[in-house]
This record gives sequence, structure tokens and C-alpha cells, in this order.
Amino acid sequence: MSFDLFNPTEEHRMLREMVAEFTTNEVEPQAAEHDIKGTMNVELMRQCGELGLLGITVPEEGGGAGMDTVASVIVHHELSKSDPGFALAYLAHSLLFVNNFYYASNAEQRERYMPKVLTGEWIAGMGMTEPGAGTDVLGMSSTAVRDGDDWILNGVKTYITNGCEAHCFQVYAKVDGRITTFVVDRDCPGLSTSHHIDKLGMRGSTMSELIFEDCRVPGNNLLGEVGGGMVHMMRNLEIERLALAAMSLGIADRCVEIMVSHAHERKAFGQSINRFGQIQKYIGDSYAMTEAARCLIYNVAQNVGPDVRNRIGSDAAKLFAAPVGKIVADNAMQVMGGQGYCREYPVERLWRDAKLIEIGGGTLESHQKNLTKDLSAKFRQ
Amino acid sequence: MKIGVCIKSTPDTSSRIQINPGGDDLSEAGVKWATSPYDMFAIEEAVQTKEATGGEVILFSASHQDTSKEVRKALALGPDSAVCIQDDGLAKADSLSFATSLAKAIEAEGCTLVFTGKRASDGNNIQVPAMVAELLGWPHVSFVTDFELDGESFKAVRAVGGGVEEVITGNLPVVITAERGLNSPRYAKLPMIVKAKKKPLATKSLADLGLTADDVAPIVTLSNYEPPAERGDCIILEGDAATTAKELVRRLREEAKVL
Repeated sequence: MSFDLFNPTEEHRMLREMVAEFTTNEVEPQAAEHDIKGTMNVELMRQCGELGLLGITVPEEGGGAGMDTVASVIVHHELSKSDPGFALAYLAHSLLFVNNFYYASNAEQRERYMPKVLTGEWIAGMGMTEPGAGTDVLGMSSTAVRDGDDWILNGVKTYITNGCEAHCFQVYAKVDGRITTFVVDRDCPGLSTSHHIDKLGMRGSTMSELIFEDCRVPGNNLLGEVGGGMVHMMRNLEIERLALAAMSLGIADRCVEIMVSHAHERKAFGQSINRFGQIQKYIGDSYAMTEAARCLIYNVAQNVGPDVRNRIGSDAAKLFAAPVGKIVADNAMQVMGGQGYCREYPVERLWRDAKLIEIGGGTLESHQKNLTKDLSAKFRQ
Repeated sequence: MKIGVCIKSTPDTSSRIQINPGGDDLSEAGVKWATSPYDMFAIEEAVQTKEATGGEVILFSASHQDTSKEVRKALALGPDSAVCIQDDGLAKADSLSFATSLAKAIEAEGCTLVFTGKRASDGNNIQVPAMVAELLGWPHVSFVTDFELDGESFKAVRAVGGGVEEVITGNLPVVITAERGLNSPRYAKLPMIVKAKKKPLATKSLADLGLTADDVAPIVTLSNYEPPAERGDCIILEGDAATTAKELVRRLREEAKVL
């Protein structure tokens, strides 16, 4: 049998079919409602827990599925064909917290948190970005100082996905200038969250600030060693970027499907509009760039894992794929004209959702910066 | 107790069905295969029965093709093992060919309860389940919408049309065919998908079952396929309900001559 880049094993293929079926039956029908309200569907997240999707990259002995980055990419890809907003909430929970936490934590910490977050009983998120430190993550100003057995955290994290619902967060703060990782429960004294930050797209997930005011965190909530935060952060950013790229691909796939179908059915001047060269350019270009993104993302995903670093690949995949979702959604809207612009059809929602991927998990500019640095190092060796 | 489920790999309902040049058979090129939709209700009922009463669930498929992909996917829904009968001798199989091979395999595994879909979504013959039961010497209940098992006794509810239900009670062994509404098939949970690859899947030839090509030689052969006639233009009748109803009846009687 020939090698299938997109479903390298039988399990990957079955996973894709299961998530596609779940997406059609359960995710699609709720997407528009949560987009309008700007709310995250907690029950749907718990259904993902029942299906075993929340710990997809966690080894079986840790209660997860023991699958790889390709599997995570498949789930984000399929979910985003219907609801990129919910897929973003899923990403924040399953990757920014669960995957990150598992590889940074010790056995006692896993015992306390994993059963709750693998089922979705607890929703989780991650706090890295600050009002004064986005791409310049090393410039973060949140601090942690030791106080007896505890740690005292101060600072503000912003644009935190799942901030409104989450029961716990993985948080980065500096200890004597060194970035260090903590797990912080919502009920830790001194932690509060801001109002829900309203946004253009990805409205099936929520966003808020995390405000730490002399927040007291138990000593056994330090993850790894003091100063270990950079490793945790960078290791997780690679799979996160591929998942975001896969979300863009999901948006593009759905938009290609919609525009092709619309261009066939829609008649103007006595014929289907797909007979017109202008429409054919939108369709042809959209398909070609979607396929290119698909190949790049899945190719890189084969070589990203907890022990396999591939920042060049993951930055390149997200840099290329992020605009593809946005451009293809825009093309679909142009092909559909007024229908594409109206809320009766999903294209305008996908169009709004797509923009985030050029910003979140690393701006396009940060990927260009990283690639230049890494490629310079590579070719000057 | 061993519970069998007969499943069939059929073209996915979204597949475009095409006829071979010459019209002697359907083309299998580009077809995406999937377990027939009604068989999904049968799998779910078997797994629910096992969860309630214990035992094991064995899947059975029969084809000239390799059905292991679809069967492996079905194993992720909870059955314990599978027997795939794969033999070139089934290339032109009719309902009795399939039933003969399935009944042999079911007998060999020692099942006492068998579920299957009420019909397969390709041939739509609604013959194999009854034939399997007959060959095994068992009763069968078709189009079941509710099933209960209490020890060796079962109660099956079947829809008989017009909103009327028939309740049938009896003792195992029995073949049950699943109607829509019997249950809601579950999704394959990810841990079950991972476990599915480790579940036993035995591929057997007709000879392995003690059958010869003559035993499964088809009685019915389909030799000429034609696409359905193109649908004519749709006629929209104008006017109020009374006028259009009268005109519709007239056209059905005088033009279509179906009344």
C-alpha cells in the first residue's frame, strides 16, 4: 500500500474519520450560535474528553491516547472545517495546557491534574502573553518569589484563551529573572480574571486577562526546575504552531468546498458562474494554495514531538498556512458575493476566524524572525 | 455467550456509483468503502448486549475484496474480534453465496445470537439475514426497533407499518436485523481506535470454512447494468389547492397513467 502523508497509519485514518463524523454531527450545529454569543461550549469540550481527544499526545501510561503530532494536527484540521473558534478552545486546553503540563510535571502533579483535564471536568489554559510582552516573550514582567513553602506571583497575562471558563492555568513567571513554569488553580488567593475580551473572530472560544496580585501558589505547583520555563515554552510552541496551521487548513478546505459548490449551482447570464474565468481564478488559486499548505503541514508534523525539535519546520508551516485560510475564505466570499457576506452561510464566520492565525501562537513577523535566525545559524555552521 | 455481527463493506453513501464499460458490472474504481449504515445499528446493539450481559462480540464479513480496513474501524466500536471471509470465489456472489459463507463462519465460532443490518446499502436485497438464519436452522426477527435479552430469552419489537408494532419473544439462538431507531451508534473513542489494531482479525478463505466454489456458486447473476433514465422536466402546477389537486389527478390518470 502506498504511503499516505495525511494518514500515515490506520489509527490516524480512523481518528480522522471519527473526528470528521463528530464534527459534522455535533460541532457544526452549534458553531453559529456560539459565534454570535461569543461563548465556549463547555459540554462539547467534555464530549471531546469522552472521546479521548483531550489527551491525544499524552502517553497511554499517563491516561492519554499516546498518539503523535500528526494526530493532533488531524483533530485541529477536522474541527476547524466547522468551528475554528471551538478548535481554538480545544487547542488551548489539549495542547497549551494538557500536552505542555504532562511533559513539564512530576508524577504527583500528574496525579492531581490529569484525571480532571483529560475528561474535561476541568477546563484549562495557559498564560504567557502580557500587555507589554507578546512576540518579545522574554520581556515578560510577571514575577514569582518564594515565601516559605509557597510562591507569590504578581503580574498580568492577557489574551488568555479559555480564561473565562478555565479551572487551572499553566503560567510563566520570572524567578530572579529566569522564566519558570507554574500550575495555578483559579481559586488560588490573589488570582482574578478580567471581563471577557470581545473579539472579531474565533468567538467560539473566550479570552480574558489573568491578574495575579500577591497570588499565593503552593510550592508543589512549580513545574520542573526554576528557570525551566523556556524549554517548556519552546517545546510546546512547535506543536501549537502546527495545530494553528492545521486550523487554517481546515478553514481553507471548507471554503474551497463551499465556493466550488456555489460556483456550480449559481447561474448568471444563463450559465453556471464557474464558466467565467474570473471565478475560475479564485477556485484554482484557492485549491492550489490549500494543497500546498496541506503537504507542508503534514510533512513537518511527521518530525515534531516532545523529543524532536523542529522550529524551522513549524515556523515555516504556520507562516505559509496562516494566510492561506484568510485568502481562501476571502476568495470564497468573493465568489459567493452577497451570500458569502451574510451570516446565513458559514463563510463570513470562517473569514473572521482566519485572521487570528496570522497573529496568535506567533505573529507572521515572529516566524520570519525565527526563520531568519535559525536558517542563518544553519547555513553558517 | 458469543454474539455475532454480520457487516458488509458497501460504497460510502457519498460515493459516485458508475457502471463498467460494457455494463456487465459496477465499477469499483474510486469507490470509498464503509460499513453499511444499518450494520452500524447491529454493531451497537451487540456491544450494548455484551455490556449488559457479558460475553464477546465477533464481527463477520464476506467479500472477494479485502475488507479489513472497514472491519478494523468497526472493531474500534467495541467488538472483540473479527472473521473476514475473503475469497475470489465470492466475486460474483449472490445473497445465498454470502449467507452460506457467513453461516459457516458463525457456526464455526459457536455464536448463539447474531445481529445484522436490516439491509445492505448496495444490493438492497434484504435476503442475507433470513438465509443465514435458515442455513443455521435458527429463527430470525427482522426490522427490530427494540431488543431485550434475559438469559436465553429475548424480546424483540419490530415495526410492521402503519404505526403498528409486533412484539416477538423467543429463545436463543436467533438472528436479529436492525432497523433505524434500535439505538444510537456510538463514536469510536480514541483509546478504542488505538486498541482496535491489537484485536484479533482472522482472514479466512472458503476452503478454511470447509466450502468449495460450488457451495457458493451464485444462482442469481446480474449481467447488465444501465443507469436510470434521466428525469424529465419538473412541471409546476399553478393555482389554488383545489384546482392544482384536480389537475394533478387528471395528469396522473390520463398522461402518466399511474392511477
